[in-house]
Amino acid sequence: MRITQRAVALTSLQGLNRNLDSVAKLQQQLTSGKQISAPSDSPTGTNRAMQTRNDQAAVDQQARNITDAQAWLDQTGSTMQSMIAQVQRVRDLTVQGLNTGAASGPSQQALATEVASIRDGLIALSNVSVQGRPLFGGVTSSGQAYTTAGAWAGNAGAPVMRRVSDTESIRIDITGPEAFGTAPSDLFSVVDNIATDLTANPAALDGHLTALDDVLKGMLAGVADIGSRATRVDGLAQINSDRALSLSSQLAVTEDIDMPETIMRLQMLQVGYQAALAATSKAIQPSLLDYLR
Amino acid sequence: MSSFATLNTARTALWAQQRAIDVTGQNIANVNTDGYSRQRAELQSLGGSTVPAFFSTSSGIGSGVDAAKVARIRDAFLEGRAHQEYANNAQLTVENESFDLVEQAFREPGDTGVQSLLSKMWAGWGDVANQPQDLAARSQVLQRLGTLVGGLHAGQASLDAQWTQTRENLDVVVKDVNAAAASIADLNQAIKRANLGGLPANELTDRRDSLVMKLAENVGATIRPTEDGVVDVIVAGITLVSGSKASEIKAVGSIDPADTATVPPTDPPRIVTATGGYAVQVGGKTAGQLNTLNTIIPTYRNKLDAVAVGLAATLNGQHTAGYDLAGNPGTAILDSSSGPITAKSIRLAITDPKLVAASSLAPGTGGPALDNGNADKISQLRLSTTGVDANYRQMIVDLGVQGAVTTRNLDIQQVVTQQVDSARDAVAGVNIDEEMTNMLSYQHAYSAASRLVTTVDEMLDQLINRTGLVGR
Repeated sequence: MRITQRAVALTSLQGLNRNLDSVAKLQQQLTSGKQISAPSDSPTGTNRAMQTRNDQAAVDQQARNITDAQAWLDQTGSTMQSMIAQVQRVRDLTVQGLNTGAASGPSQQALATEVASIRDGLIALSNVSVQGRPLFGGVTSSGQAYTTAGAWAGNAGAPVMRRVSDTESIRIDITGPEAFGTAPSDLFSVVDNIATDLTANPAALDGHLTALDDVLKGMLAGVADIGSRATRVDGLAQINSDRALSLSSQLAVTEDIDMPETIMRLQMLQVGYQAALAATSKAIQPSLLDYLR
Repeated sequence: MSSFATLNTARTALWAQQRAIDVTGQNIANVNTDGYSRQRAELQSLGGSTVPAFFSTSSGIGSGVDAAKVARIRDAFLEGRAHQEYANNAQLTVENESFDLVEQAFREPGDTGVQSLLSKMWAGWGDVANQPQDLAARSQVLQRLGTLVGGLHAGQASLDAQWTQTRENLDVVVKDVNAAAASIADLNQAIKRANLGGLPANELTDRRDSLVMKLAENVGATIRPTEDGVVDVIVAGITLVSGSKASEIKAVGSIDPADTATVPPTDPPRIVTATGGYAVQVGGKTAGQLNTLNTIIPTYRNKLDAVAVGLAATLNGQHTAGYDLAGNPGTAILDSSSGPITAKSIRLAITDPKLVAASSLAPGTGGPALDNGNADKISQLRLSTTGVDANYRQMIVDLGVQGAVTTRNLDIQQVVTQQVDSARDAVAGVNIDEEMTNMLSYQHAYSAASRLVTTVDEMLDQLINRTGLVGR
């Protein structure tokens, strides 16, 4: 084949350009830290990166949901604990009222007053709210779980759920009737009856005590339920943060460059590029002119 | 054979070698000229009389050398292949650039693309599910939805801008083609005259062939050589240049990207002959541009529209199944500013955060419920394998695959084109070493011819001045 100086120059130039192009590409990867900068760099990688980012956003959101669920459950648990303590006190007072059947009217009256005031406290506690929503009101929009008369004003149309993973939602609320029994044998009616009957009809207190014990049992079961759900949410929080970690490492594997490898490749390319430059300068220089007189 | 005949032989030799050195000089001068074909003085020995007659005989020895003709060395077959490869290369280059630009329009993968806007929007519904009573969470989701709609608008606008620009470029290229065709016709005329007059037309031919190569690149032209060094230029069976006459082509069809949304487009951009309006199946750069205008951009434009339509249908479908803060049934959350929903016309239909239908519970006796069921359902729509996210990702993957294939094809085509270029250069290019060697030979031949003159001179001197001195 006939070779001409121009052909040699053009071929060398094209080779040099190709080398420089590879160097530029690696340099771009190194400076951006990403190996995929356009979908055509790796269509499947792009797909995975996009999916992973989508999952990451969801996991971040689920982490927020879980924190919210924890706050709600903790608040519910502690509110119920303090209500149980109050109910214990009502029980004590009722038992006292039973034992002191022969006691004087004023002391019965004093017991009745205390029970009545505890009842008001219990109603106040049952209206504890988180971010404007009463804990025991279900999905009510009225801002109140129990009226001052002790009637449930909530809405049990749907449970309050928190999305904790793509596949799982957890119920975080317990409605008033579930926690405190349904009227007429609910907590507030029973306590109201006790307050009334301490003075009016001490003989009925025995029956009320049984009813109170039933309510208390229900409340304890409710606390246990809330507690076990809180434990489950705590476990899910751990799983969620593990998932977030694995997703970000997955994204890094898909998108980010392998720094040592890329630097090594760049070094090798630079050596190649320099060799090409040196070879070109040697190949283009000589012609017959150098040897003719 | 007379002594004076030998002098004449030497004279033709001197003249021929000088001409050969002139040609060598021209070659060396043009060693780096683009499109220059090396030339060679075609030396031919001169014989005796071609028609012997009684007083017209030759001695059997020729009468010198003739260098009247200067040949242009070029391989017509390689040129033909180069036309084809240049056309393919130009087409793939344009298509590759188009895919690059489409990829840039979508900005994936990254934190600014539509995918990330979608993810943020879905996450916003999660916040509404946590706090259905909170107007801040509700307006946040509306804002994020607004940003997503803005992202769709931006993607569409960027595709449209690319389309419009390509359409304008097409007009420019067509103008360029018509100008080149007219120049080729003029050059054909000049070459014909020169050839008929027996004058060298090598440089004119080089210039014409460069223009033909440009046409090959722009519209995939091929040539058909005719008489007297003239070539006709043909584009897909239509004669663009016939001898000294050039016809024109023009770009017609829609100048609005929205017209390509219908498949098949009613008035697609295309190339037709200026007179008669016959469709021309061009190749080369214009073919790439037409492909960009009629296939590449409309494909992704329509897919983006489909994403917008899917988003509106999915969100509206679930949103209308819910109830807003006041307990009223949800209304459509996305609609169109005019006409059917597209990536361009899609817009947010509600601005009041209270109207976000987060609840899936109809209002009962206790008034509207603060339920989050519908918001949660909406936030889970992202998982649907036939949903917006999946469709959008599918589109990006398609784009990536097509872009990668085009890039690879272009790489291959560049190697092929380069090989053809080297092959052409091997035939037509100037090699300095070769020219130097030729120069040496011609120079020596010139010296030898001069010596011949001297020798004949001495012989004559001997004959005239030193012979027959008897009696002087």
